[in-house]
Amino acid sequence: MPKPTRAVDHRRRRSGRAPAIAAVAVAAEDDGEEHHLNPFLDAAPSSSSSRVQFRKVASRAVWLEEAGAAEVVDSKGKLWLTTGVNRDGKLYYNVEEIGFLAERGALVLLDYEGETIGMEEIYGKIAGGKYGCSWDAFQAYKHLKLLGYIIGRYGVPWTVKRSHTYSVTDASTSVVETDQIQSLNRVGGASNDITKLLKEMCIDDMHPSFEVYLPNSKFKKTSPGDPSFVLCLLSNKPPSREELETVENKFEGIPLKFCHVDNGRVSFLSSNKAALPSLP
Amino acid sequence: MDLPGPRWKKGNDGKDFSALAAANPMSVIVAELKASFISSKPVAVLSGPGGGAILGVEPEQAVILNRAAFGHAVEIAAAQKHWFQLSPEEVFYLCHVLNCIRVESHDKKQMSDKQLWNHFRSMSESFPEMYKAYSHLRFKNWVVRSGLQYGADFVSYRHHPALVHSEFAVVVVPEGAAFGNRCGRMEVWSDLLCALRASGSVAKTLLVLTISSGSCELSSPDCLEQLVVHERTITRWIPQQCREQRSEASRDEANREELISKKESVEFNLWGVILGFSVLSSLLVYKLKFRQ
Repeated sequence: MPKPTRAVDHRRRRSGRAPAIAAVAVAAEDDGEEHHLNPFLDAAPSSSSSRVQFRKVASRAVWLEEAGAAEVVDSKGKLWLTTGVNRDGKLYYNVEEIGFLAERGALVLLDYEGETIGMEEIYGKIAGGKYGCSWDAFQAYKHLKLLGYIIGRYGVPWTVKRSHTYSVTDASTSVVETDQIQSLNRVGGASNDITKLLKEMCIDDMHPSFEVYLPNSKFKKTSPGDPSFVLCLLSNKPPSREELETVENKFEGIPLKFCHVDNGRVSFLSSNKAALPSLP
Repeated sequence: MDLPGPRWKKGNDGKDFSALAAANPMSVIVAELKASFISSKPVAVLSGPGGGAILGVEPEQAVILNRAAFGHAVEIAAAQKHWFQLSPEEVFYLCHVLNCIRVESHDKKQMSDKQLWNHFRSMSESFPEMYKAYSHLRFKNWVVRSGLQYGADFVSYRHHPALVHSEFAVVVVPEGAAFGNRCGRMEVWSDLLCALRASGSVAKTLLVLTISSGSCELSSPDCLEQLVVHERTITRWIPQQCREQRSEASRDEANREELISKKESVEFNLWGVILGFSVLSSLLVYKLKFRQ
């Protein structure tokens, strides 16, 4: 009977929480032709959604529009160890982290009035591009995150040490808050500025998106070390040699990987300068 | 043209899905999709530069959308709505041809077909010919998916991808004045043979769709009526394997199958032997992948 077989499959998938098993599954999907649930035999919608683990306890976070991120007000589980950035003792999630966690039922996002922000609005925030992310970057993030990689936004430190200022004036408070807001997104300027973001995108179609660390149970936000690689998102066309070398020079020493997202399908590429030996 | 037949997938009972496909013609499913969506007209939100849109639908609509093989379902836990990611071609087809979804820009304004057309054109220079190729195949009730993982523009399926393997790796070639200087596809031998080898290695036939433009203006979807699609398949012909065939139009894959099925030991030349080994090893690798 097909049903017991499917039940067994679900049980195995659900129990297989180890990243290695997920890695095998994702690798299998990536190598071969697309895997499709059969919508003519299975109960398609419910069985497709059952592949995503439902977490019984969800953290809660409040969306902060001016920061372009959410402050975690009630944290559950251990996700905070490798997700989100810490500022002044508070944990913040950016939009791709929110999307990833919300899709898995691990996060409930609230507005400042305490109302739940639904998936539609979360997707709108990601796809809108105003908060330092894009739909394609979200797909790449999700792909690596599911494989257990530790992913941070490029240029955004995991933690920031900050000395307390005891004499607080309005001006200094404003400065501190501005610094804090900027440090949630990108060093050297707020990427929430649409014009600036568009400029960045227009300058080249290749921009560093994420700093990626290998799956590592000993990862610490306070001393993350150098990332395993910096991930650059490509959009329209393959990069030219000049573009490749420009970006490579910018990251002397840290490997680069390139990522192309085609309607949700994520492909990764490496490009290395080669010097073939002259054979005898 | 003597092309290899479809490669149906099989169910748990060992029977292939050809009967199931015949009982559910894709044209009927698409008609059901249109009828199901036409009253609610679900709204899709554009997903940013280079992308298509994200569509939220009710569970019953999700079943039909899945069957019609539009979009990719987003995996999400315990949601009332089901989310699909659509490619630009899929978005425009659902809007323009089936007229069963609406698209909103980020400021929540509904977009007309012309606005949507120019949005996608501004995102991708090749959208006109890509969409023309996509809609051409969909009009013939083929299922069309991205072919990038095979080094092609699209792959086309005879029915739902869960029932059958894709038959064609599709490369879209723009031709004519309206496309300007953008005719860089298949113009050097390595491009052509690269596409041919890549599609052959995954058991697909290379289908080149040339979109002729004449001199029409591309700034409106009205130009679609003036774009002409030419279908052409390209195959390798291997003379060593065809000396025993009477048929003039012998096929690469057909010859491979013939080679495998020969019971008597026949003396082949070196290339025949090498090809036989490569076919056998390909089949072995394929089975191993399938087992995963």
